[in-house]
Amino acid sequence: MITRRKAFRGVPVSSGIALGYARIIHADSLRVDEITITVSRVKAEVAALERAIANTVKELEALRNSAGRKIGSSVVKIFDAQLLIANDRDFIEHVRDQILLRKRNAGFVYNSLVRKTTLQLKNSPDQYMRQMVQDIEAVSHRVLSYLGGNQTQSTVPLPRDTIVVGQSFSPGEVMRYRQRKVSGFLVGKGGTTSHTALIARSLMVPVAAIGDSWTDIPDGSRVIVDGTKGTAIINPTDTDWADYQKLRKRQGPAAITRIKKLRKIPPRTTDGIEVRIAVNLEFPGPADEILSVQKIPVGLYRTEFLYLESDSFPDEEEQCEYYRRIAEKFVGSNVVLRTFDLGSDKMLSGLPIPPENNPALGCRGVRCMLEMPDIFKTQIRAILRASIHGNIQILLPMISDLSELKKARRLISLAMFELRKQALPFDEDIQVGVMIEVPSAALTADSLARSADFFSIGTNDLTQYTMSADRANTRVSRLYSPYQPAVLQLVNMAVRAARKHGVPVDVCGEVAGDPLALPLLVGMGVTGLSMNPSRILDVCRLVQKIDSQLVRHLVGPVLASNSVAAVKRKLQSFRNALEN
Amino acid sequence: MIKKTARIINKLGLHARPSAILVTATTRFKSEFFFSKDDLRVNGKSIMGVMMLAAEMGSQLVVEADGPDEEEAMAEILRVIASGFGENT
Repeated sequence: MITRRKAFRGVPVSSGIALGYARIIHADSLRVDEITITVSRVKAEVAALERAIANTVKELEALRNSAGRKIGSSVVKIFDAQLLIANDRDFIEHVRDQILLRKRNAGFVYNSLVRKTTLQLKNSPDQYMRQMVQDIEAVSHRVLSYLGGNQTQSTVPLPRDTIVVGQSFSPGEVMRYRQRKVSGFLVGKGGTTSHTALIARSLMVPVAAIGDSWTDIPDGSRVIVDGTKGTAIINPTDTDWADYQKLRKRQGPAAITRIKKLRKIPPRTTDGIEVRIAVNLEFPGPADEILSVQKIPVGLYRTEFLYLESDSFPDEEEQCEYYRRIAEKFVGSNVVLRTFDLGSDKMLSGLPIPPENNPALGCRGVRCMLEMPDIFKTQIRAILRASIHGNIQILLPMISDLSELKKARRLISLAMFELRKQALPFDEDIQVGVMIEVPSAALTADSLARSADFFSIGTNDLTQYTMSADRANTRVSRLYSPYQPAVLQLVNMAVRAARKHGVPVDVCGEVAGDPLALPLLVGMGVTGLSMNPSRILDVCRLVQKIDSQLVRHLVGPVLASNSVAAVKRKLQSFRNALEN
Repeated sequence: MIKKTARIINKLGLHARPSAILVTATTRFKSEFFFSKDDLRVNGKSIMGVMMLAAEMGSQLVVEADGPDEEEAMAEILRVIASGFGENT
């Protein structure tokens, strides 16, 4: 058990900062006892079963409706299958028969029949089949909670500063806890691409995943969760607490609302240079309205949600409809749609992609899409068809050499050719950009710039690949910093190549929203910065204090530094000077 | 009673979404439905049953329909399965 201050570095799941007290939730808090019942008790048990089913159905319907209202019709599908499972009359009759036959309590019988079903699925060699177990268990947990009583299912509001800590939570649980006003989650396991992460982000609840260490956190401890960085502090000092309170104020949902106050977008430097400030999005959410009214462009719209929410690739019509809606929502500003960035680690289920020993270095991003040209072309066609409804650009992730870019562009040309033949209109001048997130792409940026319409530098992956360090691996995560001189040199190289060829260049990693890095990036000559919505206000204000000529002189000395500390020291002293 | 066989052709097999589509289709008819795969025979109107089949792509299902609208029902269910549930095949 942790009794002193302890900081964890994990994985960011849903951004934002939460301060509060840990409420530990163990998945095994759901225990089902086996009780032998008398014949006279059978009727009551069957009635309890029917009530539990009715309540579960009511709950799922409420969740489905509120998901539909808050997030959009897309998430509704997650609850549709669960509703069918809860309402399965044949299964319920079977449970009733067994209660009568075996003279056992409803909870025990229900649970054992569920286990019988899931066992069959768990043994299936097919990954997709095994995944269904999660849906079934999500339902059975609800039913069993009514039959046994379980704290995770309560609807009583928790104290406002509760941070829920546990191994993992289903999308429904996240929604329910949010309704109970919890301020954040600290989880053991939680991929950034899971359904749960998707829902947490669209509800703007901070979530960080810290691995098995969560089990060492005593119930009631003071906890700080930084979902943006993926870190947590258990038993923070009063200084930590005060620092994070300030940070939360600056980064919280309130910061997004304050974007409304911005008058000058895009902001200009003191010498009149425009810096394009854009936002990273991955899912339609509550902030979209404010952003579109303020005409803030979308510098990076991840499209993986389309795949994740239905566990398969939606067809051309369905995708086109999504992209059209996004384009129309942000009409008047650019929307950069990044094609699917999926790989063996981001696949929820059985695509024709075998598991890999080393997914980060495996078939992901554009590599993966080029292996599935039909799926890729469907997405490209859908994006192209939506392009007439707004100002859409296409961004290709994980390009590592010129041949990949050329292959992808050929496929785009082919899609265009087909559309012309079918007389389907699209934007003939659509821009195709390259994500610079692999060192080889930065090193050969000069040749890539000749075949790209714009660059977007993804500093998160660029840092991971340059330093060969996984940010989630605490033993090497000290190496992971975008302020590493090696990373900054690669960023600079890509920016220079872009400038030389007159190609716009954005930075879209986390560092794009970091005030410390801003003068350096502007000094290098980036034309745009794309960031989390909560960072926009601070960054816009800071841009207006920067002299673009002056910050150029920062680049040389900073790049010549020989440590992260030295880089940060130089940038910090510049920032201090700027703010005084 | 009529009995036919059908092959699952969508890539991802009879996972949650196709199972839901299939059960929604069978429950629209008066006829009783049973699906069998290997030694397992399940009620075609029960999603838990259909899921339990764990029918991956390429597997053969025996479909039985029994009731006043069995002809029409069977034709519709075979069509739904053959369409790959609107997914990639």
